[in-house]
Amino acid sequence: MFGAFCIIGGCGYIGFKIAHIYSKRVELFRFLQNGFSLLETEINYSSTPLPLALERVGMKINKDCGSLFAKAATMLHRKNGITASEAWNEGIITLSNKVPLTKEEKELLNVFGHGLGCSDKEEQLKNIALTKKQLYMVEKSVEEEQKKNQKMWQYLGICTGAVIVLILL
Amino acid sequence: MAKVFINKDADIKESINKENVTTHPTEIKKSIISVSPLKIYSLSWFQALSPNIQELVIDCLQSFIGEFEEIRLRINQPIIFRTGLKEMTVTSQKQLTFNLEKGYLINKEEIDRTVQLLSQNSLYAWEDEFKNGYITIPGGHRVGFVGKCVLDKGNIKTIKDISGINYRIGRQVLGCADKIIPYIVNNDQIYHTLIISPPQCGKTTLLRDIVRQISDGISKIGFQGVNVGLVDERSEIAGVYQGNPQFKIGLRTDILDACPKSQGMMMLIRSMSPRVIATDEIGKKEDIDSIYNALQAGVTVITTVHGGNYEEIKGRPNLKELINWRFFDRIIVLSRRKGVGTLETVIDGKTLEGI
Repeated sequence: MFGAFCIIGGCGYIGFKIAHIYSKRVELFRFLQNGFSLLETEINYSSTPLPLALERVGMKINKDCGSLFAKAATMLHRKNGITASEAWNEGIITLSNKVPLTKEEKELLNVFGHGLGCSDKEEQLKNIALTKKQLYMVEKSVEEEQKKNQKMWQYLGICTGAVIVLILL
Repeated sequence: MAKVFINKDADIKESINKENVTTHPTEIKKSIISVSPLKIYSLSWFQALSPNIQELVIDCLQSFIGEFEEIRLRINQPIIFRTGLKEMTVTSQKQLTFNLEKGYLINKEEIDRTVQLLSQNSLYAWEDEFKNGYITIPGGHRVGFVGKCVLDKGNIKTIKDISGINYRIGRQVLGCADKIIPYIVNNDQIYHTLIISPPQCGKTTLLRDIVRQISDGISKIGFQGVNVGLVDERSEIAGVYQGNPQFKIGLRTDILDACPKSQGMMMLIRSMSPRVIATDEIGKKEDIDSIYNALQAGVTVITTVHGGNYEEIKGRPNLKELINWRFFDRIIVLSRRKGVGTLETVIDGKTLEGI
């Protein structure tokens, strides 16, 4: 009996874990948009140099999402001749270790990195605005996915557990 | 290697403070010998070089490090280090050579990385500086750029495709004005002074020390300091970086940084009521006008001008007026005859005769 509970519980847990990733991803894209808004403010109003601007953004927003900005900032602070786009890519790698990202989503962030820092204010703001728009679209589609799949994974976990128990009985 | 330096944080801080402060011209030579690798890493202009070039300097040029005045990077041309009147370069096999043609060629990537490093990867934060063609880095050194200018309605918007970079390493020589101060300060009176000097003869260094001494006061001759207003159009005299002057320029000095000279002089007279106004490299019509205004406000003007000798300046359109008006009390001519900052002649501006 105890074993049966363990199996149902375990499978249920895995199901919930997978379902949780969906809500985490929705959250991520929401926070990323916030992050880009903050970066926009830093660049537009106070012309903060990039290392400091990224560091500030990284501190202000939630941890998972902030790791993208924080990592890029630490890379730039080392001053070893790294370009902003290289540092940004390091940030994307750190982020994708925390929250799974699809290839397209990585590409989107990557493209933003190419223009980072190496043009005047106007271009920077354009680049940020464009990326924010794209992130909004991604957020919507990820939300759809969440609606479709989250419940399914939660039930699927428990059901799979129950099926295994039934077979074993 | 870097880890060793991190452990000695305190030493680094100390040497940053001493970095470009030399006590007397003759002591420059001594300090060159004592530059250790640790100190090289803490030099702020060194930190602004790209890692590749840092390596070249560490490997081949350590013995010259205290003497550098300029480092020039030009696209597809050899890197050039200039000390005083000598120019040198490094071959790709890391050999020091005075034959510039054999030097290590700078490629576009090197230049791009250097620009990213200098701008902290944030060109947008230095738009105005790029418009003017130079930025000031920590330590008060200046880095100039050339490239393709992007125009917007006839005005320069920014410089792109940067093809040449010049590091101008500023140096503070405390006490280099000692010999000249007696000609400028007499009891409580300070004379209107014009310093004439060809480029690279220590004109800015001298002006910096004059400002410092007048502002701090000179106990040797019992001179109490007075308020000095400094219009630093090219951020060269005080080397202001993010609001902090990087050189010692005296405790009664107010600095208007990156401000056009003529406007700056008027602003200072109105806002800070200085006794002395110091500024670099006059010559434009507006400059002359605002010097007249300063005179009317009872403010002493100490300034410099590019030129080989007194005769040459006497022929210049705008300066001619000032000299014929007998505006300046003292005209000081510098040269490089016996090393940087040789005092050539001092002329009494009223009688136009040597002192």
